[in-house]
Amino acid sequence: MKFPWFKRIGIFFIPASAAGWIILLAGIVFAIYSFLDIDGRSHSVSDTLMNFVFMLLIIGAVYSLIAYLTSRIAKK
Amino acid sequence: MEKQNFEKKLTAMTKPEIHQLKHEDMLAHAIINAKDKSVVGWWWLSVPLFIIMMLLMKSFYMPGTSLITSIHELAGKEKYISLIFFLIAPLVLILVNILTIRKIYFLSGSPKSMNFLENVWFNVLIIVITVLILIIYSL
Repeated sequence: MKFPWFKRIGIFFIPASAAGWIILLAGIVFAIYSFLDIDGRSHSVSDTLMNFVFMLLIIGAVYSLIAYLTSRIAKK
Repeated sequence: MEKQNFEKKLTAMTKPEIHQLKHEDMLAHAIINAKDKSVVGWWWLSVPLFIIMMLLMKSFYMPGTSLITSIHELAGKEKYISLIFFLIAPLVLILVNILTIRKIYFLSGSPKSMNFLENVWFNVLIIVITVLILIIYSL
């Protein structure tokens, strides 16, 4: 596999290859799916937002871990 | 004639010069890696910090509740989430950041001054916040 898949800009890891874009898109699709799922079960806007932000942070944490591990350049 | 040529060759020969030391590369790589790690650390810390902030707001607006009781309630209800984000992730983050700081300290030549802290202050901050999260969880 050709690394790195991501490059870091500030606190975000930006895709630098096709594989990186696929992972980012998968994260976005999962975030949209969880928003719709949470919205369907919640009783108020604040309920939706609180649960969605929590889920978004978890997605961000997992995404950043994957991005960090795949953005390391192999030692020469 | 041959001797002169040999002398010329000798004077032309110089010591091999290394413009960039290997450990400088290693230090630069370690500092960049430490910054990348601290970004990942912040993302993982953001989850327990968000939960603590929500529970603090709950204790502020709902009489009869406190942060500690709410954390205990959460630990009972969401056993795995609380274990991962309040115990395992903080412990891993402390260990990783200590090892990173140690590596940078040794690569910088074990400086006596606190100047090297300029490169690792973010990692130190993560350790401090992580310890606070562990204390709140263990109360």
